[in-house]
Amino acid sequence: MNNDIFEDLKKAIKEYDTEAAASLAKKAIGEKIEPLKLLDAMTVAIREVGDGFGRGELWLPDLVGAADAMSAATPIIEEEIKRIGAKRESLGTIVVGTVFGDIHSIGKTMICTLLTAEGFKVHDLGINIKAEQFLEAIKKYNADILAMSALMTMTAPEQRKVIKFLENENLREKVKIMVGGGAITEEFSKNIGADGYDPTAPGAVKLARQLIGK
Amino acid sequence: MLKGFTRNFKPLEILTEEQVESIHGGTLDVLRRTGIRFESEKALKLFEKNGCQVDYSNNRVRFPEGLVEECLRRAPSSYHVKARNPENDMIWGGNTTYFQALSGSQSIDLETWEPRTPTRKEFHDAITVLDALGNVHIVPWYTPWFGFKNVPPVMAMPEGLAARFRNSSKFICANYSMDCEVFNIEMARAVGAELRTSMAAAPPLTFYSDAVESAYRIVNAGFILLLVSGSVYGGTSPSTIAGSLITGNAEIIAGIVLAQLIKPGTRVIAQDFSFPQNMRAGSPAFGDIAISLHQAAFNQIWRKYDIPTDGGVSYPSSKKIDYQAAYEKSILSFTGALSGTNTIWIQGALYGELAFHPVMAIIDDDLVGMIGRFLEGIEVNEETMALDLINDVGPIPGHYLSKAHTRKWWNKEQFVPKVADRSTPPEWLKLGKNDCIDYAKKRYDEIISTHKVDLPLTDKQESDIERILKEAREYYKKKGLISSEEWDEYKKDLKSPNYPYE
Amino acid sequence: MSRGFIRNFPAFKLLSDENIDQIHRGTLDVLQKTGVTVYNDKALKVFKNADCDVDFDSKRVKFPPGLVEECLRKAPTSFRVKARNQKHDLLLGPNNVLFFNFPGTDTVDLNTWEPRTPTEQEHIDLIKVLDALENVHFLNAYPYFGFSGGIPEVMKEIEGVALRMRNSTKVTVAIANNDIDRFTIKMAKSIGTEIFANPNTSSPLTYYTDQVNACFLAAEYDLPSMIWEGATYGGTAPASTSGAVILSNAELIPYIVLMQLLKPGARVSVANLVLAQNMGNGAPAFGEIGVSLHNVVFNQVWRRYGIPTVSSSCGPTSSKRIDFQNGYQKMMPTLLSAISGSSVLQLYSSIYGEITAHPIQAILDDDIAGMIGRFLEGVDAGDEALAIDLINEVGPIPGHYLGKAHTRKWWKKEQFAPKSADRLTYPEWLKADKKSCIEYAMDRMEKILSTHKVDPPLTEKQESDIEDILSEARSYYRENGLISDEEWDVYKKNFKI
Repeated sequence: MNNDIFEDLKKAIKEYDTEAAASLAKKAIGEKIEPLKLLDAMTVAIREVGDGFGRGELWLPDLVGAADAMSAATPIIEEEIKRIGAKRESLGTIVVGTVFGDIHSIGKTMICTLLTAEGFKVHDLGINIKAEQFLEAIKKYNADILAMSALMTMTAPEQRKVIKFLENENLREKVKIMVGGGAITEEFSKNIGADGYDPTAPGAVKLARQLIGK
Repeated sequence: MLKGFTRNFKPLEILTEEQVESIHGGTLDVLRRTGIRFESEKALKLFEKNGCQVDYSNNRVRFPEGLVEECLRRAPSSYHVKARNPENDMIWGGNTTYFQALSGSQSIDLETWEPRTPTRKEFHDAITVLDALGNVHIVPWYTPWFGFKNVPPVMAMPEGLAARFRNSSKFICANYSMDCEVFNIEMARAVGAELRTSMAAAPPLTFYSDAVESAYRIVNAGFILLLVSGSVYGGTSPSTIAGSLITGNAEIIAGIVLAQLIKPGTRVIAQDFSFPQNMRAGSPAFGDIAISLHQAAFNQIWRKYDIPTDGGVSYPSSKKIDYQAAYEKSILSFTGALSGTNTIWIQGALYGELAFHPVMAIIDDDLVGMIGRFLEGIEVNEETMALDLINDVGPIPGHYLSKAHTRKWWNKEQFVPKVADRSTPPEWLKLGKNDCIDYAKKRYDEIISTHKVDLPLTDKQESDIERILKEAREYYKKKGLISSEEWDEYKKDLKSPNYPYE
Repeated sequence: MSRGFIRNFPAFKLLSDENIDQIHRGTLDVLQKTGVTVYNDKALKVFKNADCDVDFDSKRVKFPPGLVEECLRKAPTSFRVKARNQKHDLLLGPNNVLFFNFPGTDTVDLNTWEPRTPTEQEHIDLIKVLDALENVHFLNAYPYFGFSGGIPEVMKEIEGVALRMRNSTKVTVAIANNDIDRFTIKMAKSIGTEIFANPNTSSPLTYYTDQVNACFLAAEYDLPSMIWEGATYGGTAPASTSGAVILSNAELIPYIVLMQLLKPGARVSVANLVLAQNMGNGAPAFGEIGVSLHNVVFNQVWRRYGIPTVSSSCGPTSSKRIDFQNGYQKMMPTLLSAISGSSVLQLYSSIYGEITAHPIQAILDDDIAGMIGRFLEGVDAGDEALAIDLINEVGPIPGHYLGKAHTRKWWKKEQFAPKSADRLTYPEWLKADKKSCIEYAMDRMEKILSTHKVDPPLTEKQESDIEDILSEARSYYRENGLISDEEWDVYKKNFKI
């Protein structure tokens, strides 16, 4: 019975079925199944999708479809984790967002999915995020890594602004910072004092592991 | 006035009447049912006053059909645009076709094909090339590059506009960002030119305040507003061409309604700047054929709205000036031209929005010449049908080479490109196996050493521009948008003995 | 069966219907008033019997308009052609578009870009690549003119046809020079495939005997024919486009009349290889945009006649390299031919003019064909594609479409992913050693050559029939002196005949 529900949940994610994922999560919680194991099962499923993408067999809409299905189930399971006071193991906590003035979300969404698949706890703040909002989230989630995206040449300097802002708030040393997006180059990332840059989504996942030494 | 090219035949149509109606109906439905989110209190109030249903809790505006149709009617179907030199004025709309350079954020190295930041001198030289090319009719925003070495990003737009006015008397455009449109408008007035500036949606179905604020400024200045969706289908619009046209047109129409409510009769142009999503990299799929289909359908619908169109945006996906770049650029621009785009983007662009090179622009200018020749079509009359001549020449050994009719007509019917290799193989070997890039490099050197802008700025205009640039620098410094490191670099650059040219 | 791509919108028209009428009437006038010279007595008799005005001394034939219009009506609007493998049967018709190759005499060195004679293996490799490419629906004559090793001129294309029969199951074309089609048509028959008869015109308004004989062979064997028109306007045709179209059509129609007189309902198509004259060096101006103006008008007239058209100007360019110029000189005529209603586009493998060809070019051209094919399919604006409910559901930002089932279902239908194009971002491209389309095409060629098999191979019986016909041809040309003793010695020795 237990095995079935894990398999069903994995299947729902691999078939991009948002509704099934949410209702299976509810059902499983109702049946008192350990919520951490449910999260693990979903991570396995999303990793399979991520691997398929890496091999060139699956595409961006598949990746995001699976991530959407997982996001539909996650809040239900997390609520239960909170309720029973369990602690979730993860590689680390990452806060992700597209900087202020920039409304491009595709690259960021890819990264979030692949980081989740890898086993990170990912907080996606969305697009058009101001320095203050990044700061708040880093504090709130006790983040290990801040990942910022900027697609446009005009908005790339905003990343420098955020880093400066964190320095002023004495938070710079607390987090590793990785940057990416169409307008960013290796040289630029060094210039603004980021800890790392990678042009590709799978490369960024490796980078995140490196940054926290895992 | 610049004639550009006249399309002397009915445009290519790929939709049936019913399909056009379906897409139009869908657009009205979305505008009425879901509406558009405007992050602008000022705009929300204006819409409400004019009969839109406005929800202030989520900044949503829902548009009644009557208002939409009235505003589309108010927008002129063709109009005059004024360049610095009246000889470069144009008429946009109807069957006129003009071409414009297509910028990229960086230059490229023609040996390694890698992108690199251009210098101030290169920036100015590239504009000189665009001024010299006969088929570049418009020198638009971000052209030739988004900026150049040592210029803080926030000053790239005003510096770029100043450079374009200094090196070209053609119609110049400038875009909005961080209030720079205020300085753009001042500069254009100082040199007696009009501007075209975009109002870009944030798809799906959203306009942020900076776009709206700029639109107010441009419309009130009496300049031309270009409306654009810029969606990526599969990402920020439906993955289908038809669905993406619906969201894109809904966004553009909402912008046109705003413009016509601010000032009735405002000159607008609708741009198709949408790309499919590259489902591997997450970037737009530049060079994809779906762009051509989208453009052809877009033109057909906007002809019904009787509003000029802009597009044919010919970004290749290739990083080199090679076979792939050629087929991508030629089909994108050509389908745009055949289906009736009034102003088409092509000269100079390489990969995506990231690379431009003046040598590419020179080669593209030939491509445009070919398209232009095709658009002009052919004449069918007694003289061109040449029946008497054909009957007179008869079968072999008759031929046409020596006939007066041939001397008169061949050059009208053919288009001879300036930098193509047209040699026979033996000639080619003898000439050192030159290709079109070699010929284009030669033409580049020739242009740089001989071309002068036909109408230089007056001393007064020059000093006005310098004053406005100073104002802009002060403004952005005060706002904290130029860091002290940036300012130090920039200051050195401004003290160059050959400022502003190198 | 190969239907190729379907054009889902009305063909593009450059001229008004009245203009097309004017051109048609002009053509009838030339055929009636001046007529054409036909160096073939058998044909002159056929024309005479059909009430044409024939002068047997000057070989001049003048055509009554009624006969012309009747014969144009008799020719079928669409027809099938049978291949050795049924899946390569062709359908030529008004709304579907097929592709084939444009040959080059020589291959080209991809480093120096200089032409040279291909080896037999290179010749076979090009055939194999063309056989493997799905959008090459049939093979033209050549694709190279023979190969190295000392084949006598007259045997080059006969040996070439044998190579095509062995290495491809697609339909091919039998050129008519020096009666070689007598042998190649027999070869085709022996292995159970049809082959296009290929009579050529000679501009202005002239027909040589071996070309006219191709019509008699087509009638005898009941073969489809592809009639080739190759005037150069400004040289062998008027320099004005309308005049050049009138001349081209006046040259093509006599063949159609002859075919329909010999065999009413005979399958005919017309190929337009009219080029502009390069007034600088006297060569044809390959890749010239004026050629496309001619072709678009040509298509418009022949669509009215209801006879399938072949656009040959898609293939040759004036560039010597696979470069930017070569790319635009291929894409523009291909696009225009496709949208203006050509049934067949002759695009693949040619580089400069009729001089050079290369399999890498063919593989790259395959992406142009794919893009054009996708364009021809047009836009689906049915309820599901319109996606109105989805749009209303997703709403403004932060809504997006990436994860939607609708996107998963539709995106691949709307886009076309080229097989040998660089579609990477800059960082990915740098990581991938800055690979460009030519390198991707090389990868694809390697894969094709290591995996593609002709399906099915010739049977032993078919193989020996071909050998017999080759021997027969060699004896025939030895006897009539088209193979000299010198040539024969080299040929015999090097090919162990």
